[in-house]
Amino acid sequence: MKREIYGLITFKSTHFALQGEVVFKDNNIVFKTIPTPREVSHSCGLALLFMVDDIDIVKNIIEKGLLQIDGLYRYTKDGHNSSAEKIL
Amino acid sequence: MNIEVDARGQACPKPVIMTKKQLDEVTSGVITTIVDNEVAKENVSKLATSMGFSFEVDQMDGDEYRISINKGDIKIESQVSTSSKFKDMTIAFASDTMGKGDEGLGKILMKSFVYTVSESTPYPSTLIFYNCGVKLTCEGSEVLDDIKKLEDEGVEIISCGTCLDFLNIKDKLKVGSISNMYTIYEKLKDPASNIIIG
Repeated sequence: MKREIYGLITFKSTHFALQGEVVFKDNNIVFKTIPTPREVSHSCGLALLFMVDDIDIVKNIIEKGLLQIDGLYRYTKDGHNSSAEKIL
Repeated sequence: MNIEVDARGQACPKPVIMTKKQLDEVTSGVITTIVDNEVAKENVSKLATSMGFSFEVDQMDGDEYRISINKGDIKIESQVSTSSKFKDMTIAFASDTMGKGDEGLGKILMKSFVYTVSESTPYPSTLIFYNCGVKLTCEGSEVLDDIKKLEDEGVEIISCGTCLDFLNIKDKLKVGSISNMYTIYEKLKDPASNIIIG
Protein backbone atom coordinates (compact mmCIF):
# COMPACT_ATOMS: atom_id res chain seq x y z
CA MET A 1 0.00 0.00 0.00
CA LYS A 2 1.12 3.48 -0.83
CA ARG A 3 1.96 5.77 2.06
CA GLU A 4 0.46 9.20 1.59
CA ILE A 5 1.07 12.29 3.68
CA TYR A 6 -1.33 15.21 3.80
CA GLY A 7 -2.10 18.33 5.78
CA LEU A 8 -5.37 18.30 7.70
CA ILE A 9 -7.31 20.97 9.53
CA THR A 10 -10.20 20.48 11.89
CA PHE A 11 -12.74 23.03 13.08
CA LYS A 12 -14.69 23.85 16.21
CA SER A 13 -17.95 24.01 14.28
CA THR A 14 -19.43 23.05 10.92
CA HIS A 15 -19.89 26.73 10.08
CA PHE A 16 -16.15 27.25 10.38
CA ALA A 17 -15.59 24.23 8.13
CA LEU A 18 -17.86 25.75 5.46
CA GLN A 19 -16.00 29.04 5.85
CA GLY A 20 -12.71 27.13 5.57
CA GLU A 21 -13.79 25.73 2.20
CA VAL A 22 -14.37 29.27 0.93
CA VAL A 23 -10.96 30.48 2.19
CA PHE A 24 -9.21 27.48 0.58
CA LYS A 25 -11.00 28.07 -2.72
CA ASP A 26 -10.13 31.79 -2.63
CA ASN A 27 -6.47 30.86 -2.13
CA ASN A 28 -6.52 28.20 -4.87
CA ILE A 29 -5.54 25.44 -2.46
CA VAL A 30 -6.49 21.97 -3.66
CA PHE A 31 -8.40 20.25 -0.87
CA LYS A 32 -10.98 17.66 -0.06
CA THR A 33 -13.69 17.88 2.57
CA ILE A 34 -13.71 14.70 4.61
CA PRO A 35 -15.27 13.43 7.82
CA THR A 36 -12.83 14.15 10.65
CA PRO A 37 -10.67 11.04 11.05
CA ARG A 38 -11.47 9.06 14.20
CA GLU A 39 -7.98 9.58 15.62
CA VAL A 40 -8.58 13.35 15.66
CA SER A 41 -12.24 13.10 16.56
CA HIS A 42 -12.65 15.71 19.29
CA SER A 43 -13.82 18.51 16.98
CA CYS A 44 -16.62 19.07 14.51
CA GLY A 45 -17.37 16.26 12.09
CA LEU A 46 -15.73 17.82 9.05
CA ALA A 47 -12.11 18.41 8.18
CA LEU A 48 -10.20 19.68 5.17
CA LEU A 49 -7.48 17.50 3.69
CA PHE A 50 -4.85 19.12 1.50
CA MET A 51 -1.42 18.54 -0.02
CA VAL A 52 1.37 18.39 2.53
CA ASP A 53 3.36 20.87 0.41
CA ASP A 54 0.71 23.49 1.14
CA ILE A 55 1.11 23.29 4.93
CA ASP A 56 3.15 26.50 5.10
CA ILE A 57 0.64 28.40 2.98
CA VAL A 58 -2.18 27.17 5.24
CA LYS A 59 -0.19 28.08 8.37
CA ASN A 60 0.28 31.55 6.97
CA ILE A 61 -3.47 31.91 6.35
CA ILE A 62 -4.17 30.75 9.91
CA GLU A 63 -1.64 33.22 11.33
CA LYS A 64 -3.32 36.04 9.41
CA GLY A 65 -6.52 35.11 11.28
CA LEU A 66 -8.41 34.15 8.12
CA LEU A 67 -9.19 30.61 9.30
CA GLN A 68 -10.80 29.66 12.59
CA ILE A 69 -9.37 26.22 13.18
CA ASP A 70 -9.44 23.69 15.96
CA GLY A 71 -6.23 21.95 14.92
CA LEU A 72 -3.70 21.59 12.12
CA TYR A 73 -2.24 18.13 11.60
CA ARG A 74 0.19 16.21 9.47
CA TYR A 75 -1.98 13.27 8.43
CA THR A 76 -0.48 9.99 7.20
CA LYS A 77 -2.48 7.38 5.35
CA ASP A 78 -0.99 3.95 4.98
CA GLY A 79 -3.54 1.75 3.24
CA HIS A 80 -6.48 1.65 5.60
CA ASN A 81 -4.41 2.79 8.58
CA SER A 82 -3.88 6.42 9.32
CA SER A 83 -2.26 8.59 11.94
CA ALA A 84 -2.24 12.28 12.75
CA GLU A 85 0.45 14.40 14.27
CA LYS A 86 -0.64 17.76 15.67
CA ILE A 87 1.24 20.80 14.38
CA LEU A 88 -0.97 23.64 15.69
CA MET B 1 -38.59 -16.74 -35.70
CA ASN B 2 -37.28 -13.29 -36.63
CA ILE B 3 -39.04 -10.19 -35.44
CA GLU B 4 -38.07 -6.63 -36.23
CA VAL B 5 -38.80 -3.76 -33.84
CA ASP B 6 -38.50 -0.32 -35.40
CA ALA B 7 -37.78 2.02 -32.50
CA ARG B 8 -36.39 4.87 -34.56
CA GLY B 9 -37.66 8.25 -33.40
CA GLN B 10 -38.75 6.82 -30.05
CA ALA B 11 -37.67 8.60 -26.88
CA CYS B 12 -36.00 6.80 -23.98
CA PRO B 13 -37.09 4.39 -22.51
CA LYS B 14 -39.52 3.43 -25.33
CA PRO B 15 -37.01 1.39 -27.41
CA VAL B 16 -36.26 -0.74 -24.33
CA ILE B 17 -39.94 -1.24 -23.52
CA MET B 18 -40.75 -2.17 -27.15
CA THR B 19 -37.87 -4.66 -27.25
CA LYS B 20 -38.72 -6.19 -23.90
CA LYS B 21 -42.35 -6.65 -24.94
CA GLN B 22 -41.29 -8.64 -28.01
CA LEU B 23 -38.75 -10.67 -26.04
CA ASP B 24 -41.42 -11.56 -23.50
CA GLU B 25 -43.86 -12.62 -26.21
CA VAL B 26 -41.65 -15.14 -28.03
CA THR B 27 -40.36 -18.36 -26.55
CA SER B 28 -37.30 -18.30 -28.79
CA GLY B 29 -36.03 -16.46 -31.83
CA VAL B 30 -34.18 -13.36 -32.87
CA ILE B 31 -35.52 -9.91 -32.09
CA THR B 32 -33.88 -7.13 -34.08
CA THR B 33 -34.41 -3.62 -32.77
CA ILE B 34 -33.54 -0.63 -34.92
CA VAL B 35 -32.70 2.56 -33.06
CA ASP B 36 -31.38 5.94 -34.13
CA ASN B 37 -29.18 7.01 -31.27
CA GLU B 38 -26.31 5.70 -29.20
CA VAL B 39 -28.02 5.86 -25.80
CA ALA B 40 -30.91 3.73 -27.07
CA LYS B 41 -28.38 1.26 -28.53
CA GLU B 42 -26.62 1.04 -25.15
CA ASN B 43 -29.87 0.61 -23.27
CA VAL B 44 -31.26 -2.09 -25.56
CA SER B 45 -27.89 -3.89 -25.35
CA LYS B 46 -28.02 -3.68 -21.55
CA LEU B 47 -31.53 -5.11 -21.58
CA ALA B 48 -30.24 -8.11 -23.53
CA THR B 49 -27.32 -8.56 -21.16
CA SER B 50 -29.50 -8.27 -18.08
CA MET B 51 -31.91 -10.88 -19.47
CA GLY B 52 -29.01 -13.20 -20.25
CA PHE B 53 -29.39 -13.21 -24.07
CA SER B 54 -26.55 -12.85 -26.53
CA PHE B 55 -26.76 -10.03 -29.05
CA GLU B 56 -25.00 -8.40 -31.95
CA VAL B 57 -24.89 -4.72 -32.84
CA ASP B 58 -24.53 -3.48 -36.42
CA GLN B 59 -24.04 0.18 -37.10
CA MET B 60 -25.99 1.32 -40.13
CA ASP B 61 -25.98 4.87 -41.47
CA GLY B 62 -24.86 7.54 -39.03
CA ASP B 63 -26.35 6.96 -35.61
CA GLU B 64 -28.63 4.12 -36.71
CA TYR B 65 -28.02 0.73 -35.10
CA ARG B 66 -29.53 -2.74 -35.45
CA ILE B 67 -29.36 -4.78 -32.27
CA SER B 68 -30.10 -8.45 -32.89
CA ILE B 69 -30.96 -10.30 -29.70
CA ASN B 70 -30.99 -14.08 -29.76
CA LYS B 71 -33.48 -15.43 -27.27
CA GLY B 72 -32.77 -19.03 -28.17
CA ASP B 73 -29.35 -18.83 -26.75
CA ILE B 74 -29.38 -18.30 -23.01
CA LYS B 75 -26.02 -17.20 -21.78
CA ILE B 76 -24.93 -18.65 -18.48
CA GLU B 77 -22.94 -15.96 -16.80
CA SER B 78 -20.12 -17.32 -14.77
CA GLN B 79 -20.44 -15.62 -11.44
CA VAL B 80 -16.94 -14.75 -10.47
CA SER B 81 -16.52 -14.81 -6.76
CA THR B 82 -16.27 -11.20 -5.73
CA SER B 83 -14.48 -12.15 -2.51
CA SER B 84 -14.58 -9.66 0.30
CA LYS B 85 -13.80 -6.65 -1.85
CA PHE B 86 -17.49 -5.99 -2.52
CA LYS B 87 -20.65 -6.17 -0.53
CA ASP B 88 -23.85 -6.96 -2.41
CA MET B 89 -25.22 -3.50 -1.82
CA THR B 90 -26.56 -0.60 -3.85
CA ILE B 91 -26.30 3.01 -2.76
CA ALA B 92 -28.77 5.29 -4.51
CA PHE B 93 -28.18 9.04 -4.60
CA ALA B 94 -31.48 10.86 -5.06
CA SER B 95 -30.00 14.32 -4.66
CA ASP B 96 -26.72 16.19 -4.69
CA THR B 97 -27.25 17.01 -1.02
CA MET B 98 -27.35 14.66 1.95
CA GLY B 99 -30.67 15.43 3.54
CA LYS B 100 -32.88 18.44 2.98
CA GLY B 101 -33.06 21.68 4.93
CA ASP B 102 -29.87 23.60 4.41
CA GLU B 103 -28.26 23.32 0.99
CA GLY B 104 -24.74 24.26 2.10
CA LEU B 105 -24.81 21.73 4.90
CA GLY B 106 -26.36 19.09 2.62
CA LYS B 107 -23.60 19.53 0.05
CA ILE B 108 -20.75 19.33 2.53
CA LEU B 109 -22.30 16.23 4.13
CA MET B 110 -22.59 14.61 0.71
CA LYS B 111 -18.89 15.22 0.00
CA SER B 112 -18.04 13.73 3.34
CA PHE B 113 -20.29 10.71 2.68
CA VAL B 114 -18.95 9.92 -0.80
CA TYR B 115 -15.36 10.20 0.47
CA THR B 116 -16.19 7.79 3.29
CA VAL B 117 -17.70 5.27 0.84
CA SER B 118 -14.55 5.51 -1.32
CA GLU B 119 -12.34 4.86 1.71
CA SER B 120 -14.28 1.96 3.22
CA THR B 121 -14.15 -1.70 2.27
CA PRO B 122 -15.96 -3.79 1.33
CA TYR B 123 -17.13 -1.49 -1.45
CA PRO B 124 -20.79 -1.40 -2.50
CA SER B 125 -21.44 -3.28 -5.75
CA THR B 126 -23.38 -0.42 -7.37
CA LEU B 127 -23.93 3.32 -7.05
CA ILE B 128 -27.04 4.75 -8.69
CA PHE B 129 -27.64 8.43 -9.31
CA TYR B 130 -31.02 9.89 -10.13
CA ASN B 131 -32.92 13.18 -9.97
CA CYS B 132 -30.41 15.89 -8.90
CA GLY B 133 -28.10 13.09 -7.71
CA VAL B 134 -26.81 12.92 -11.31
CA LYS B 135 -25.03 16.24 -10.73
CA LEU B 136 -22.55 14.22 -8.67
CA THR B 137 -21.37 12.23 -11.71
CA CYS B 138 -21.13 15.25 -14.01
CA GLU B 139 -18.59 17.95 -14.73
CA GLY B 140 -18.25 20.38 -11.84
CA SER B 141 -18.98 17.75 -9.18
CA GLU B 142 -16.65 17.94 -6.20
CA VAL B 143 -16.82 14.19 -5.64
CA LEU B 144 -15.84 13.07 -9.14
CA ASP B 145 -12.43 11.76 -8.08
CA ASP B 146 -13.96 9.66 -5.30
CA ILE B 147 -16.55 8.19 -7.67
CA LYS B 148 -13.86 7.57 -10.31
CA LYS B 149 -11.78 5.77 -7.71
CA LEU B 150 -14.75 3.53 -6.89
CA GLU B 151 -15.30 2.85 -10.59
CA ASP B 152 -11.62 1.91 -10.99
CA GLU B 153 -12.03 -0.50 -8.09
CA GLY B 154 -14.87 -2.21 -9.96
CA VAL B 155 -17.96 -0.54 -8.52
CA GLU B 156 -20.72 -0.12 -11.08
CA ILE B 157 -21.70 3.55 -11.52
CA ILE B 158 -25.08 4.26 -13.10
CA SER B 159 -26.71 7.61 -13.84
CA CYS B 160 -30.35 8.01 -14.83
CA GLY B 161 -30.61 9.03 -18.50
CA THR B 162 -33.99 10.71 -18.08
CA CYS B 163 -32.53 12.89 -15.33
CA LEU B 164 -29.39 13.86 -17.28
CA ASP B 165 -31.61 14.69 -20.19
CA PHE B 166 -34.06 16.74 -18.12
CA LEU B 167 -31.26 18.72 -16.48
CA ASN B 168 -29.60 19.11 -19.89
CA ILE B 169 -26.25 17.73 -18.69
CA LYS B 170 -26.04 14.47 -20.67
CA ASP B 171 -22.84 15.68 -22.39
CA LYS B 172 -21.32 16.56 -19.01
CA LEU B 173 -21.31 13.02 -17.61
CA LYS B 174 -17.78 12.21 -16.45
CA VAL B 175 -18.01 8.81 -14.78
CA GLY B 176 -19.96 5.58 -15.21
CA SER B 177 -22.72 4.81 -17.66
CA ILE B 178 -26.22 5.99 -18.47
CA SER B 179 -29.15 3.74 -17.76
CA ASN B 180 -32.88 3.61 -17.31
CA MET B 181 -35.58 2.84 -14.77
CA TYR B 182 -35.44 -0.91 -15.45
CA THR B 183 -31.83 -1.06 -14.34
CA ILE B 184 -32.46 1.29 -11.43
CA TYR B 185 -35.27 -0.93 -10.17
CA GLU B 186 -33.24 -4.12 -10.70
CA LYS B 187 -30.30 -2.70 -8.81
CA LEU B 188 -32.52 -1.56 -5.96
CA LYS B 189 -34.53 -4.76 -5.62
CA ASP B 190 -31.86 -7.40 -6.13
CA PRO B 191 -29.04 -6.65 -3.70
CA ALA B 192 -28.96 -7.98 -0.17
CA SER B 193 -29.19 -4.40 1.02
CA ASN B 194 -29.56 -0.93 -0.31
CA ILE B 195 -29.22 2.59 1.01
CA ILE B 196 -30.97 5.62 -0.41
CA ILE B 197 -29.26 8.93 0.20
CA GLY B 198 -30.77 12.22 -0.77
